[in-house]
Amino acid sequence: MTPNRNADRPRIDAHEKVLGRALYAADQPFPGLLHAMTVPATIAKGRVLSIDTAAALQVPGVVRVFTHDDFSQIRTTPAARGAYGQPGKGYQPMTAPQVRHRGEPVALVVAETLEAAVEGAEAVTVRYAEDPFSARMDDDLASPEPDAVSPLASGDAEAAFASAVHTIDVEYRHPQQHHNPIELISTTAAFEDGTLRIYEGTQSAAAFAGGLAGMMGMEPQALRGVSPYTGGGFGQKNGVQEQSVLVASAALLLRRPVKLVVPRGQLFHTASYRPHSRHRVRLAADGDGRLLAGIYETVQQNSRYDGFASDHGATPPRMYGYGAWRGRERIVRVDTQTPGHQRAPYEHPASHATECALDELAGALGMDPVALRLANDTQRDPITGKPFSSRHLADCLRRGAALFGWDRRTNQPGALVAENGDRIGLGVACGSYKAAMTPSVTTLRLSAGGQCRIATSGHEMGQGIRSVIAAELIDVLGVDPDKLDIRIGDTGHAPQHLTAGSWGAGSAAPAARAAALKLREELSQLTEAALSDEPVPVQLARTRRPYLEVSVDTVPLGKDRQAIEQLRRGMPVTTGPEYPDFLAFSWIAHFAEVHVEPSTGRVRVRRVVSVADCGRVMNRRTAESQVRGGVVWGIGAALREVAECDPRFGGVLNNDLAEYVVPVNADIGAIDVDFIDEPDSRLNPSGVKGLGEVAMVGAAAAIVNAVHNATGKRIRHLPIRIEDLL
Amino acid sequence: MKPLSYVQVRTAREAIEAFVAAGESARYIAGGTNLYDLMKLGIEKPAHLIDIADLDGANRIDTDGDRLFFGGAALMADVAEHPVVRDDYPVLAESLSKAASQQLRNMATVGGNLLQRTRCPYFRNGANGAYPCNKREPGSGCAAIGGMDRSQAVLGASAACNAVSPGDWPVALMAMDAAIELQGLDGPRVIPIAELYRPPSRTPHLEFTIGREEIVTGISVPKTAAGRTSTYLKVRDRESYAFALVSAAVALEMDGDRVRQAHVALGGVATVPWRARPAEALLRGETLDRERALEAARAAFAEARAGRHNAFKIELGARTLADAIINAGSKSR
Repeated sequence: MTPNRNADRPRIDAHEKVLGRALYAADQPFPGLLHAMTVPATIAKGRVLSIDTAAALQVPGVVRVFTHDDFSQIRTTPAARGAYGQPGKGYQPMTAPQVRHRGEPVALVVAETLEAAVEGAEAVTVRYAEDPFSARMDDDLASPEPDAVSPLASGDAEAAFASAVHTIDVEYRHPQQHHNPIELISTTAAFEDGTLRIYEGTQSAAAFAGGLAGMMGMEPQALRGVSPYTGGGFGQKNGVQEQSVLVASAALLLRRPVKLVVPRGQLFHTASYRPHSRHRVRLAADGDGRLLAGIYETVQQNSRYDGFASDHGATPPRMYGYGAWRGRERIVRVDTQTPGHQRAPYEHPASHATECALDELAGALGMDPVALRLANDTQRDPITGKPFSSRHLADCLRRGAALFGWDRRTNQPGALVAENGDRIGLGVACGSYKAAMTPSVTTLRLSAGGQCRIATSGHEMGQGIRSVIAAELIDVLGVDPDKLDIRIGDTGHAPQHLTAGSWGAGSAAPAARAAALKLREELSQLTEAALSDEPVPVQLARTRRPYLEVSVDTVPLGKDRQAIEQLRRGMPVTTGPEYPDFLAFSWIAHFAEVHVEPSTGRVRVRRVVSVADCGRVMNRRTAESQVRGGVVWGIGAALREVAECDPRFGGVLNNDLAEYVVPVNADIGAIDVDFIDEPDSRLNPSGVKGLGEVAMVGAAAAIVNAVHNATGKRIRHLPIRIEDLL
Repeated sequence: MKPLSYVQVRTAREAIEAFVAAGESARYIAGGTNLYDLMKLGIEKPAHLIDIADLDGANRIDTDGDRLFFGGAALMADVAEHPVVRDDYPVLAESLSKAASQQLRNMATVGGNLLQRTRCPYFRNGANGAYPCNKREPGSGCAAIGGMDRSQAVLGASAACNAVSPGDWPVALMAMDAAIELQGLDGPRVIPIAELYRPPSRTPHLEFTIGREEIVTGISVPKTAAGRTSTYLKVRDRESYAFALVSAAVALEMDGDRVRQAHVALGGVATVPWRARPAEALLRGETLDRERALEAARAAFAEARAGRHNAFKIELGARTLADAIINAGSKSR
């Protein structure tokens, strides 16, 4: 059965979310639930000399105050938080009397009510011995690591650059940013059926069995991880959090369920974030705009202790037909919590630098920036020489240019002026994101009455993975969307993968499709006839069987059965971008129109047109929504978001949603989205590639390029703020 | 749990009696949009709340006499949407409608808004002495001076504090020569709005001149034809739901195409709502063009002093004020 083009359908869980019926992790009711609150460190680095808990214990309702004395048995393993699989890495606060970053928890107060826990936490007095520190990578005590030369290289880039007539050599800077999903990060540890269950709005329910159990010296099967819904993850909820093991340990020690919802202000100091980075880009071209060389060197902030690596150089060499390429990455260690993956973690900052540099090159060549990109389009990866599984980037550019009205643009800055005197700028930029997949384990049961229950791997974090699964069940079985019961995000139902890196749809759709096809096959064997076009539940009903159930393990291209065992043990297994016979990426082109007020330099993004190649579109509505969200992130990154750190104190000063400025509705103009919608049948049977991250890649660069087109000012840092354009 | 008493009262007299009886830890509450926030930040720790939102007549809006009158507990949203305010005093309406969000404006009162406290990040994050702050802990110092001071004041700062007065409405009222009606232990009194705010000098923790037990019962604004020739221009890091980087309230009394008298005040740049008399003086008797407006606007910033990251506010402030002057003047035609 070849996949059909999907219709526009309502989001599967929209109704329950809008009605407030969806119970998120912190909404789960438990009798006898205790509430916890952390005491954050008020220094950036040093030792805890003493913790006075007497006053806190006097607060009526406070049950216990935990300190590092209670948690010293917590272990660090390669699967522990922050280790990223590397032995000896990772840091868990409150296991020793030390402070490694401002705001980390130094005590945990557990009480009968939230109010008592908060009051108890405020009553704890901590004395510290402070050590000198640097919280920013440009400061004195920051520690650079040796450069790592990227294995992605081709030709002699230095020589090609040195002998080229047209070159660009620029440095772009990206600030520290914070994800700020609306659902706060929380942990609830409870006991059900004799086992410990961890409820977190997480992208990785299996991280508890895989990581947390090991940290607590428990067997993995002794823990069940449940992530009912995730209210936005964006990579900040992709593993064990700083508080997870503390809350779980507190519950075990007290033999009562315990919940901690981390306040927004503390999340800026305990949860992951996008690190500050610098990007030097050198590009060379001949007079016809053919790219001869690219040299890309990055520097990225990391914490002192964790394994989070830099990988900015992974996508740019695959964007265009560079004649030669060389890359280099450097980590600088500072005294903060560990940064992490934030939506398009490397691809967004890398696209900001390289797509703006390309715009500068187009200017230097006197060439149209769309024409420059089309002139360097390639159907083969310049690094390996392998073809792409599918690449419709040129179509994205051409269709986007037509929808946007790109032909109004000239290379002359400030040429377009609005009626009110605003300078109009038009900008373009492209993006890519690897098309990755991960194994899944699926059980599908279809009842004669039409009820259809599927338990599979994956987490719903607002991206619409339930709608993706539903699309395949509707396509293959003709089931009624209202009779679907989709069970995901719970290790009690199926092994759970880390849902991140835009591999959710590329893994869940083939898994659902494979299960549905197997069910058809079994029904056909049962009836000893080929199935008709009628809905499958109707055909099943005629067999007088109450239901039919099948189980399927889905192994992604290039992996073997071992991947399923790794999935069952909670270990991340992913593929891409390189497969045996090709490379696979999703692609996008963004076009932005900005209006700049001449007197104040205020920038308004009036319109963005984005055209994506994500393979087969699984649900037009949720896909468009993904892209609009990605573009809004791009607008935020281009013009607003930055974590303000005072080097004398460390930490983030603007640690709330009033002062950490993300766009509001009034900042968002029209965002028109279109898709190529061509299945990538080489990658998987569903023909689907990822979308959630590529949606953002290049969006900020398109805005920055538009600002240059309006003003003639080339601002090489984000965000571009009002003082940059005065 | 910390005990917290809460009473609703009907008259100012009752409120003041309850306040005095409750002692040091008493606070008045109306919309609560600032007080609750400050309580969460550990800045305010009241034990007794006296709710004055429903004082008899305290939400009255009266535009009939020779002054506009707004009861202290009138909602920001209601004043912003009042037809006379909206049509005849755009500077007042715009200063309200560009503040906060609709949800907050539906709760917050125009009296309470006068007493909103600064958004200085060191002040807000300074619990448990995390940052030196002379407002939170007098004598502890000021982390903002020499620190991340992008949002801090360029006008009116002292060696002890450079925190910005955050409001929009008080800036518009300052330009319009509003009077503040108060009621205290000794009965009612009226002060010009300019007398409500203390410059930080050496005691930045003392922000207002009124007694702790005094209640803002009303705000009155003299009626003037300049109301129609007025505007409130607010420039910020996003289009809505943000405090001003720079704002300008301008109302012009015109005599043909000449300015008879200008009323100019600035927000976002100063430690108190800032009346820009030098700009007013330069505009008097002039016809308006961009050059003259900019010259007057620059005069308003002649005394400005920049820190490390806020120098842009001086140029941005001048240009914003110039835009506001031109905008207000264009309404006289």
